[in-house]
Amino acid sequence: MRILKFTFVLCLLTAISYGQADQKKKYKPSRTDNYIRMKGIRFGADITRPFQDLWTKGNRYGSEFSADMELWPNLFPVFESGIDIMKIQTNYIDYRSSGSYSRIGMDYNFLQAENKNDKNIFFVGLRYGFVLARQQVNSYLIDSYWTPTTGRFGSQNYFAHWGEFLLGIKGEIVNNVYMGWTIRGKIRMNNKDLGMPPVYFIPGYGKADKGFSLDFTYSVYYNIPWDFRKSIDRKKAEAENKRAGMAIKKLTGTKKLPIKK
Amino acid sequence: MKRIIYLIFILLGVTACKEVFEAPPQALLKATLMNSTTNKSIESIVTSRGVGLDSLFYSKTNLSEILLPLSAKDTTSFHISFDSTIETISLTHSTSMKYASMESGFYNEYKLLKVDFSRNRIDSILITDSLVTKTWHENIKIYIRPLPTNGN
Repeated sequence: MRILKFTFVLCLLTAISYGQADQKKKYKPSRTDNYIRMKGIRFGADITRPFQDLWTKGNRYGSEFSADMELWPNLFPVFESGIDIMKIQTNYIDYRSSGSYSRIGMDYNFLQAENKNDKNIFFVGLRYGFVLARQQVNSYLIDSYWTPTTGRFGSQNYFAHWGEFLLGIKGEIVNNVYMGWTIRGKIRMNNKDLGMPPVYFIPGYGKADKGFSLDFTYSVYYNIPWDFRKSIDRKKAEAENKRAGMAIKKLTGTKKLPIKK
Repeated sequence: MKRIIYLIFILLGVTACKEVFEAPPQALLKATLMNSTTNKSIESIVTSRGVGLDSLFYSKTNLSEILLPLSAKDTTSFHISFDSTIETISLTHSTSMKYASMESGFYNEYKLLKVDFSRNRIDSILITDSLVTKTWHENIKIYIRPLPTNGN
C-alpha cells in the first residue's frame, strides 16, 4: 500500500511539474488531435478484483466491468460496475459484507496522438461511486477467564458513496484489444452510523474507517468498433433523401405537367 | 527470470503475512496494594481465584499491583489470599460491550458501582477510577494491614 501511495504521489508531482513547465511558455500550443480516434464502445474487465484476497486482510473477492467511449475528442464518459465481497473468519468473529457498486465519470486523455491510428491514452479521470451494501456479524466470541460470551448481530443495510480521482494508461496491444492500469485515490463522502457494529467495509471503496484510500486496478478491454456516428449520419441522410423524394412525388402528383406530343 | 522468482517470493510473503488477526483487547481491573499504616505501596504473595471457578488467576506471586478480570454478570467475586490470609472481594459493576474492529472482534468494558470485602487483612478499599477499560490503569486501592513483625 505504501508503494502505491509513493507511486501516486510521484505521478501527481510529475503532473504538477509538467503543468508548471507549461505555464512558463507564453503560448500554449493547441492540440492537433481534436478528432475522435476510438470509434464505438470499449468494454473492460478488471483482472485484479478476483485476486484482491492476496493483498487484503480478510477474504476479499469481486469482479468489475466497465464501458467507455470517446464521445468527444479526448473525453471518455465511463461507467463501471462490480460486486465486492469481504469475509473475515477468526476465532473471535465471523463477518461478511457484500454489495454491488457502480461508478460514473469521465476520463480526459492528455497524450497527443501521432496519427489517427494511435489510440493509446494517458488519462486523468473523475468518478462518483455509490453502493447499496449489507453487512452481518454471524457470530462473535468475547473470551474471558469467566464464561465466554457469544452472540450475533442481524443483517445491516447501508448506502455509501465516494469520489475518485484517477491516473492511468490504456494501450492498444492488438487490434481493438487494450490493456491498462489505473491508480485511484478515493475520498469517502459519507459514513453511516449504524450503531453496533459500525460499518467496517464499503464494497468498491474499502475500509469504512478511512476517509481516503488508494487503490490500483489493471484491466483488459475490447473495443467494439461500431461507428455509431456514421450510422446516425447515414440514417439522417436516408431520412432526408426519403423526405426529398416524398416532396418531389407530392409536387409531381398535385401539379399535372403538360405532356408534349 | 530472476525478477519473476522475486515477485513470486514477495507474493508468497504477502499472502503468508496477511492472515494474522489479533485477539480483541481485554479490560482488566487494576488494584494497587497499600500498607494501611504507612499509606505506601507494599508487596504481598498473592493467590487469586474466581468464586465458583477452579483455575487460579495468580498463584503465589509476589506483587504490588494485581489485575483482575471481571465477568459479564453484574457481580464478580474473587477469593484472594494475601500472604496466606484469604479474603473475598465482590465487585458490583455494569458491563458494556465495545467494538475493537472486525479483524479482532468485541470486548467488554465495566463501570464499578460497589466493592464489598471481608476484613481479615484488608483494612479498606478505595475506588480511584470506576471505569475499567482496555487501557489498564489503577481502579482500586486495597489497604491491607502489615504482617506483625517478630520482635524476639
